Amino acid sequence: MSIQVKNLTHIYSEGMPYQTIALEDNSFEIADGSFVGIIGHTGSGKSTLIQHLNGLLKPNSGTILVDGLDITDASVSLRDIRQRIGLVFQYPEYQLFEETVEKDVAFGPQNLGLPEDLIGERVREALHLVGLSYEDVGQRSPFDLSGGEKRRVAIAGVIAMRPKVLILDEPTAGLDPKAHKDILNLIERVHREENNTIILVSHNMGDIAALSEKVLVMHKGRMVMEGTPGEVFKKAELLLGMGLELPPAAGFMELLKQRGINLENMPLTIEEAVEEITVWTGNN
Amino acid sequence: MIRDITLGQYYPGESKIHVLDPRVKIICTFAYIITLFLVRDFVGFAIAVGFLGLIIILAKVPLKFIFKGLKPIFFIIIFTFTVNMFMTKGEPLAEIGFLTITREGLYNAFFMGLRLILLIIGSSLLTLTTKPINLTDGIERLLSPFRKIGVPAHELAMMMTIALRFIPALLEETDKIMKAQMARGADFETGNLLRRAKSLIPLLVPLFISAFRIAQDLAMAMEARCYRGGDARTRMNAMRFHTRDALASLCMICFIALIVLQAYYL
Amino acid sequence: MKSKYLVHGAVIAAVYAALTLLLMPISYGVMQIRVAEALTILPALTPAAIPGLFAGCLLANTLGPYGIFDIVLGSAATLAAALVSYKLRSKPLLVPLPPVLANGLVIGPMLYYVYSVPLPLWACILWIAAGEAAACYGIGLPLLRYLSKRKSVFR
Repeated sequence: MSIQVKNLTHIYSEGMPYQTIALEDNSFEIADGSFVGIIGHTGSGKSTLIQHLNGLLKPNSGTILVDGLDITDASVSLRDIRQRIGLVFQYPEYQLFEETVEKDVAFGPQNLGLPEDLIGERVREALHLVGLSYEDVGQRSPFDLSGGEKRRVAIAGVIAMRPKVLILDEPTAGLDPKAHKDILNLIERVHREENNTIILVSHNMGDIAALSEKVLVMHKGRMVMEGTPGEVFKKAELLLGMGLELPPAAGFMELLKQRGINLENMPLTIEEAVEEITVWTGNN
Repeated sequence: MIRDITLGQYYPGESKIHVLDPRVKIICTFAYIITLFLVRDFVGFAIAVGFLGLIIILAKVPLKFIFKGLKPIFFIIIFTFTVNMFMTKGEPLAEIGFLTITREGLYNAFFMGLRLILLIIGSSLLTLTTKPINLTDGIERLLSPFRKIGVPAHELAMMMTIALRFIPALLEETDKIMKAQMARGADFETGNLLRRAKSLIPLLVPLFISAFRIAQDLAMAMEARCYRGGDARTRMNAMRFHTRDALASLCMICFIALIVLQAYYL
Repeated sequence: MKSKYLVHGAVIAAVYAALTLLLMPISYGVMQIRVAEALTILPALTPAAIPGLFAGCLLANTLGPYGIFDIVLGSAATLAAALVSYKLRSKPLLVPLPPVLANGLVIGPMLYYVYSVPLPLWACILWIAAGEAAACYGIGLPLLRYLSKRKSVFR
């Protein structure tokens, strides 16, 4: 399911004295089955952008084609959009409300109008994908779970709808290192097993560098950079100038560069950095 | 949708009306509304329109905003107008299908409709020219004489003030929750009343839990600053009565007198 | 201790006012399906809801486009109903009843006498009571059920 965005513009409170241009003339493409990372400082328009992708917001101008279907067209049913594109918000555990985990995860599929037995299946699969056991947590109240578990239940609630495109906004916000890693592994597993497209919005450059095939950089409502993580994170000054950090590995590379040590390849993860440095020390 | 709602209807400004004491404004608004009900005919309304126009000019609020306040009530006005027009018995003037427009009906429709419009514009002038925080202060001061009969004026005002601080955060939270549930396919818009009512549970339950979570933090912050309740607290901005308030009150009294005279003695 | 009571009341007031303002077109006036009224079940869960709902009503009426009369009459009705709902907290099915009665019997006549709605008095009363019942029983009762399972929130 590919996504094509053309000239997307969104203005808040248009016409009022305090109107803000949240998105200005953005155009880009997201290939089917890819893993895309979106980065940008707070207020750069990331959240506004992803809300357009699943139809929660309508642009002031521009079009969004999902698999050829223009979702900005008023005649397209929201249900069709939501079936294809799932969106997990920041701190998704705040959306939990049902009496049991099972019922909460079933909420999404129910809204899609799926038959009872299929819903049951989806709930189990989704819980399994996020690393929870249906037998253990299915009948418990979602509020009795730990923070990390709650988040996984919330994510399961979206996965249960089996969207072809899964957008995650800061899925690791506020988590301790272990839970952070668990969620990332979860996302990777979902990408692998469901063969879907993943869009990850994050402030954590390390995560973006490690997982994305393509990185989109937002700045003040415009998309200013597009490319592979290697390409994007090489442009250190530009990124720093926009108030963005570099992934730990790339950051370290920058420091080395400043001292005159230039490595051949841009490492994206700590492991790659170690390799590169080993190679370099070997040659020098 | 939610971002476009401005809290209350305050229109920022420093006009002669804006700077009046909120207590005076509240009492005058009450008085104005009660006076509207004393009006007996359109001449009386003409006086009221003149008075209202004067206030609007002094308040320097653009007419666009005044009419924005009428928008939500638009249907009520139309409803009142049409029902009065068709349902009042009297001398028939015209017939549309099985409905009759009577002379009395037409008169009533315009009379009631106009009164309603003047009422709403008058009330909205209060909120247009007074910051919510000043309104709650005003209400607290007006209620404090009733402390003697057990009305916890200060606590109520505190609740209102804190609530005011909360509301923007709450609206944001509501927006987030609504969007999160909509992303899961929740539909708050279609369906009959009962269906729509039920669809609000996925919104209200998380909203509550979030709201109380924020409340815990706030309570802790207050206790950390030794908050212990109202009696001995002093105010940062004491409310004082100025000459302009006396002047405004006088104008109000003149208006009331004029209306009463016109309605009952002229 | 006092701060918690105050803050709980403030939160309830804020949610009430926020919901009333958000759903404005159907909150004010003749078509009274005030979703916020579903909150009138809260006194069954915490006494802070009594001043809380009152404050919320005051706030919603001062911030909204009309309702100077609502400020006094509507808020008073809400307060009285909250007190009775609190007393009835052990009988969940009866908890939404006081606001239905109070609002019907106070706002109904207000619409008739003050706003000259040209329908007979009993129709005004019933109309308001019906809208109130839809909110209090239709939304409020399920809400009460869900929140009762999460009573720890209110401590």
